[in-house]
Amino acid sequence: MNNLFALAPLLTIVVGALLILILEAFLHTENKSYLGFLSLFFLIASGALCFNSWTAGYTYFNGNLFLDKFSLALTLILIVAVCLIVLTSLKYISLQAANHGEYYALLLLAVSGMMVMVSSNNLLVIFLGLEVLSVSSYALAGLRTADQRSSEAAVKYFLLGSFASAFFVFGLALLFAGARSVEIPAIIGFFRTEAGLDLMAILGLGLIVVSFGFKVAFVPFHMWTPDVYQGAPTPITAFFSVGTKAVGLAVLVRLLYSYWSEGFKSQPVFWLLWAIAALTMVVGNLMALRQTNLKRILAYSSIAHAGYLLVAILARDSASLVFYLVAYLFMNIGAFAAIMAMSKKGTEYLELEDYSGVGFKYPWIGATFAIFLLSLAGFPPTGGFLAKFFVFSSAVRQGLVPLVIIAVLASLVSVFYYLRIVVYMYMRTPSREIDIDLENPALYLVLFLCLYGVLQLGLFPGNVLIFIKQAIAALPVF
Amino acid sequence: MSFPILSFLTFFPLLGALLLIFVNKEKKNGLRAIALAVTLINFAVSLALYFNFNGQTPDPQFVEKGAWLGYGINYHLGIDGISLFLVILTTFLMPIALLSSWTSIQDRIKEYLMFMLLLETGIIGVFVSLNLFLFYVFWEAMLIPMYFLIGVWGGPRKIYATIKFVLFTMLGSLLMLVAIFFLYSLYYKATGVYSLELFDYYKVIMNPQVQTWLFLAFSLAFAIKVPMFPFHTWLPDAHVEAPTAGSVILAAVLLKMGTYGFLRFAIPLFPDALEKFLPVLNVLALIGIIYGGLMALIQKDIKSLVAYSSVSHMGLIMLAVFSLTIEGTQGAIYQMLNHGMSTGALFLIVGILYERSHTRLIKDYGGVARQMPVFTAFFLICMLSSVGLPGLNGFVGEILCFFGIFKASRLLSILSISTIILSAAYLLWMYQRVMHGPITNQKILSFKDINKREIGYLVPIIILMFWMGIYPQTFLRKMDASVSNLVNRIQQREKVFIRSQKVNQTLSQPVSSPQPSKTDKSGKDRVR
Repeated sequence: MNNLFALAPLLTIVVGALLILILEAFLHTENKSYLGFLSLFFLIASGALCFNSWTAGYTYFNGNLFLDKFSLALTLILIVAVCLIVLTSLKYISLQAANHGEYYALLLLAVSGMMVMVSSNNLLVIFLGLEVLSVSSYALAGLRTADQRSSEAAVKYFLLGSFASAFFVFGLALLFAGARSVEIPAIIGFFRTEAGLDLMAILGLGLIVVSFGFKVAFVPFHMWTPDVYQGAPTPITAFFSVGTKAVGLAVLVRLLYSYWSEGFKSQPVFWLLWAIAALTMVVGNLMALRQTNLKRILAYSSIAHAGYLLVAILARDSASLVFYLVAYLFMNIGAFAAIMAMSKKGTEYLELEDYSGVGFKYPWIGATFAIFLLSLAGFPPTGGFLAKFFVFSSAVRQGLVPLVIIAVLASLVSVFYYLRIVVYMYMRTPSREIDIDLENPALYLVLFLCLYGVLQLGLFPGNVLIFIKQAIAALPVF
Repeated sequence: MSFPILSFLTFFPLLGALLLIFVNKEKKNGLRAIALAVTLINFAVSLALYFNFNGQTPDPQFVEKGAWLGYGINYHLGIDGISLFLVILTTFLMPIALLSSWTSIQDRIKEYLMFMLLLETGIIGVFVSLNLFLFYVFWEAMLIPMYFLIGVWGGPRKIYATIKFVLFTMLGSLLMLVAIFFLYSLYYKATGVYSLELFDYYKVIMNPQVQTWLFLAFSLAFAIKVPMFPFHTWLPDAHVEAPTAGSVILAAVLLKMGTYGFLRFAIPLFPDALEKFLPVLNVLALIGIIYGGLMALIQKDIKSLVAYSSVSHMGLIMLAVFSLTIEGTQGAIYQMLNHGMSTGALFLIVGILYERSHTRLIKDYGGVARQMPVFTAFFLICMLSSVGLPGLNGFVGEILCFFGIFKASRLLSILSISTIILSAAYLLWMYQRVMHGPITNQKILSFKDINKREIGYLVPIIILMFWMGIYPQTFLRKMDASVSNLVNRIQQREKVFIRSQKVNQTLSQPVSSPQPSKTDKSGKDRVR
């Protein structure tokens, strides 16, 4: 009987998604905004159930799914992220004329896919989760049906995403041919043996890494990112940049944490990832310099952050990785929320020019946005700085000094474009009049929570560090 | 536990800034009064530092230490004879800077005052931190308010200037951050303990090969801040575009963070590497002196003239620091204070002129002395203090610097004396063109002499200029012990080496070197 209870967090989300879909059909249009609150309720319930099983360590389906502390921690992080995103969407959906029911249901389904992905050691199960996540993501990207960009984003994401899925399956087939298993521990064990030097198996592992590189947006698999991020509804962009990234990296951690436990520098995959990390940081930041659309800037910035996160994986420091993810969650969702605050019915202000003088016209939105940008750039005393500090210092401890030098120089470049937004907000006189819809309490709540998170993580992250340490201690090393 | 005076000094301005949020932005004078009161209280409290400071011991005083994040990241504050006066200089100039912008800043006064107060927090934090993490946090955090001060309230090319300022400083400090990581991991691998405490690092001596890279990274950060030639190009831009108060703080205090960084971090931590790079550094400092002086001669804008004079004067300070003698180091610290006073005062004077005519070009002035006799006297004293006239503060500092430099190298001292000639030339010439001669610009006829507020903030500086010039013992005796301790540490590091031999041996393990193949050889060299 234990098993059913253990499944509760996942089941709650799925039930919530289905319920919302059904209710959608029966509710009057003006009442549909309640669906947002309903999905919030299911998310929080699922989060509470996660807490409940924190110490239990359930496994079920013959060990194909298990809720160790690592997966629970990531699930909780995802739930926090999605809660914030739902809060920002409450008003956004009606302002930008999308459909409530589909939106929340798909969002919850995507979350359920993510939860499956982070709580399995079986690559086939992970693939199932990945597909649930991907299909809902494609649909979410295209939800703003009135806007051609949104449809374009959906199609692009779908086509390239299908390729990535195909890569995953093909890689898995190659791995299975060698290791005769789809379980991560067995695969890692296989690589420890002589037979593990087989080129085919390494190619298989490489293909799987590539397919996650696509989801997380590593260079050179990032081409879809700016277009999709620009076209998708803004809360969904925030969701992609935080949620999808966190999940992809979590799976990579599970896959690679034990892979190079010893003599890691001799592994070809390690150096492949080293190069990808360096490229991702440099290209992401350089490309962002030329953008004038805020969503595109943040898209490239999220590519660059994927690079920093990969540095944490290369340094085998999962605790720093998770801390970075938490800090990134708050600062990035905060930044997107600030962008969403700059909108009114049917219009979003996304060009840099629109932001001229905003800092003094709307001091609270401007100041919080500036703090999120400074945090993204890695200025102390924000969470962004501490996250970079932890990641880079453990990378140096692992002897990855050249990579860290590349990383800090890349983040110097990033300072320029983050500050450019601040320059527009505070140092330019407005060139055109904009007026925004100021009545959006849920969004302000998100801004406040994210601000609190960014500063708390930067100054007194004690509890979060303990929480992360517990979660990482549960990561099996085999 | 006694009153946490350093924490108070650091965070009281921050509290003041937070308080300002809740004041109506239309009450401009109320806002100004609150900010001024906060800085004045801070100054009063900082005087207690002076009176309670024991000049006999080199150990840090007023120490506050507490655990913060773990992993060696502690909250550790303390000051010694080197940082004592830099803290007081900061608290002293802050109210003056606020007074100087009392009427000239009218737009967005609330945000302006908040950023000034945040700036004070950042600067004092840099000078009192004894933990490398904490130091770095303040070092970087301080950039943000300065970025806004230049960028929002600056002149026509403010955006270019402020971005340049931030990027230059960040380039250095990010590489320094990597060096800090490297030290951190080195210490962890050698001792098995996480530490970012400065004094833990003082106790160990690193393999010279490693020192080289770390020294380069730290020095780059500090050299950009000082600024040493050829990293000085951000300074004239930032100065010219910054509002008066920003320029004052920038010249008087921010640049000192660079020299302070050398004295506190780069030199004591990496003495062997310093030895290796000393010739290069000396030449760069010398070029700075002469180049800065020559550039100052040809400037058309008074503010950029003073900015280049800073490059020149800071060159002399760096040369004195690199002399590694007691006189030189003491002179350098003393000259840091002098430069803070006299250059700060010159920027205030330029600000006073600018408020009246809205031009900073020398050719637009002439004959101002006739219209503003009282102002003329103040200008003359400040200018002569910067030139280094005996009886004023600049002389004492320069003479000590030259003593030190002479001990280290005669050639350098002869060449560096050119700074006296150059600074006399560009400052006196500028003074003559601005204050004397016929009145060519009709605007000058309508100039009013300086008012009580302006006299009010110039008088304390003038008094201190005379005091520091006539009775330097007041200041020097508090820094004796710290300075001689620092110099001895470098001059006689064999002794230090023996004392901490145990730690050192572990630190010279091959693992600590980026190029393991060369470690053995250099390790032997070290032991001799």
